[in-house]
Amino acid sequence: MEQEFVAQTWQRQLARFAPYIVAGLVFLIIPAVLPSYAQSVMTRVLIFALFAVSLDIIFGYAGLLSLGHAAFFGVGGYANAILLTRYGFESFWIVTPIAIVIIVVVAAVFGVIALRVSRVYFLLITFALSMLLVCVANTWRGMTGGADGISFIPPPDLGLSWLSWNPASFYYFVFTSFIICFLLMRLVVNSPFGLSLQGIRESENRMRALGYNVWLHRYIAFIISALFAGVAGILFTYHNTVISPWNLGLEMSALAMLICILGGLGTLWGPLIGAVVVILIEYFSGIYMPARWPLVLGGSFIICVALIPKGIAPSLRRLQNRLLYGSVKN
Amino acid sequence: MEILLLTALTGVSFGFILFLVASGLSLIFGVMGVLNLAHGALYMVGAYIGWTIAIQQEGNFVLAVLAGGVGTVIVGLVLERGFLRRIHGMLNQQVLLTFGFVYVLTNLCLWYWKALPKAPFTAPVLDWSFPIAGVTYSFARMVITAIGIALAIFLWWLQSKTRFGTIVRAGMTDKEMTEGLGINYGIVATIVFALGCFLAGIAGVLGAQLFGAHLELGMNVLVLAVVVVVVGGMGSVPGALVGGLLIGLVVSFGKVLVPGLSMFLVYLVMIVILMIRPTGILGKATTS
Repeated sequence: MEQEFVAQTWQRQLARFAPYIVAGLVFLIIPAVLPSYAQSVMTRVLIFALFAVSLDIIFGYAGLLSLGHAAFFGVGGYANAILLTRYGFESFWIVTPIAIVIIVVVAAVFGVIALRVSRVYFLLITFALSMLLVCVANTWRGMTGGADGISFIPPPDLGLSWLSWNPASFYYFVFTSFIICFLLMRLVVNSPFGLSLQGIRESENRMRALGYNVWLHRYIAFIISALFAGVAGILFTYHNTVISPWNLGLEMSALAMLICILGGLGTLWGPLIGAVVVILIEYFSGIYMPARWPLVLGGSFIICVALIPKGIAPSLRRLQNRLLYGSVKN
Repeated sequence: MEILLLTALTGVSFGFILFLVASGLSLIFGVMGVLNLAHGALYMVGAYIGWTIAIQQEGNFVLAVLAGGVGTVIVGLVLERGFLRRIHGMLNQQVLLTFGFVYVLTNLCLWYWKALPKAPFTAPVLDWSFPIAGVTYSFARMVITAIGIALAIFLWWLQSKTRFGTIVRAGMTDKEMTEGLGINYGIVATIVFALGCFLAGIAGVLGAQLFGAHLELGMNVLVLAVVVVVVGGMGSVPGALVGGLLIGLVVSFGKVLVPGLSMFLVYLVMIVILMIRPTGILGKATTS
């Protein structure tokens, strides 16, 4: 991917990082001047972007399509909501670590079951496991509120007395969390571990012959990916103030998958673009045709696949390379 | 003892409906490599068409079953010829596309048939019960079982005794070699896809005798069909039969033994079988 043979002048360096700078500015400055409902939509974009980027670790980098990724999003959300509303916990700094531990435990168990197989079986089993959790959420009324879910989730208590919650301050809270998670995930995929994951994706047998423990790499990637999905779920409960069983189910998983594929797999910033597009489609179709939004959403799944099966990010990367190097490479 | 027999018979009839859906899902995957998430939605379309013919138009029940099958085939062919063909071999995109169709079909059904669920319906001639070994058993369920057995035999005959079945099996083993022998495998794949849709449509109308027609069918049936396929083995019709009957019995006995928790039992069975045989009871040993 990297064009190492072209001299790196500072203009080129600047141009290489231009997309990050532009994205940073868009997400840092623009929301400050937007009306509060638009800030709320931007918050939703970031939460879903985080969810989709976490799916990208297991889907794009490890090459395993999980169709039950919403399970972890929902476990994070439910754990957070239950701790806050049922057990009287208040502090964000206490609740979040407990919720993350719960997510990791669930992911560790599901990983053992799902990673006995790969490819289409993995997809089917992750799907079935997430539907198992939907079933739990629907049945265990005392704890999860059944089909109605849990509502009236309070805003995060960061222990800062000067902070008052409004859409703008909440946006920047989510923005900060997103940046931290994004950088951590970047660290993971660019580490030797991340590179061997991609090696396993490209050629499982070769990596095995080189002495890598394929199963363990996948297992760790599965848990890391689940962890960040859970963080997205935690942020989602604060933002949405309601969590219900469908947040665990196939609809959510497929939404994350749409965001990933539309954005471009195997790049961390692709899902960010995908999230902007998908959430805006969801938002506007919900406003202008409330009864037909599933049709619009389903239609956008179909159109996305028919027109840009490889996603937006590779096209943008090609454009960037053309602008930078004057030729088309990759 | 009576309750045991009744529960078993109920489970078997439900199991055959699951078999019809899952065998289509499984065949389509085996032959085309397509995981059709819209399969549950196709079942739902079949159920709604059946309702329109049998209840709204007060038509013949056999006609309703056939219309449900044929209508579903038409929807399925639009999906296959119009869309799936373009993304051949791209599993991720296929999953996304077929799931998009779940949304689209569910919303179109909502548009046309409205949100109110349709109550279970059956033909007047089937609407009676008869005593069997001390219990009364619904004739409609008996007919479902009989049709299920007949179609299972038909599929077995088609796959193992006909030239078409030989081509299908050859293609499942080595697609390129089959095409190299001058077989137009694209047509074969389309026929198999249509057959799978037909089975889903028929299952929809037959199942409507037990569950009616409503908008959540698409997802509920898909989940059960996926569990059946996982348990039985992907790409195997006998696997779908074994898996379907097993899951049908588990659901049926679960409803009696642990009311309200029968779905947990289903997942438990699935997980136990996966831990023992990761590719299902009758699946191939490789995990590809």
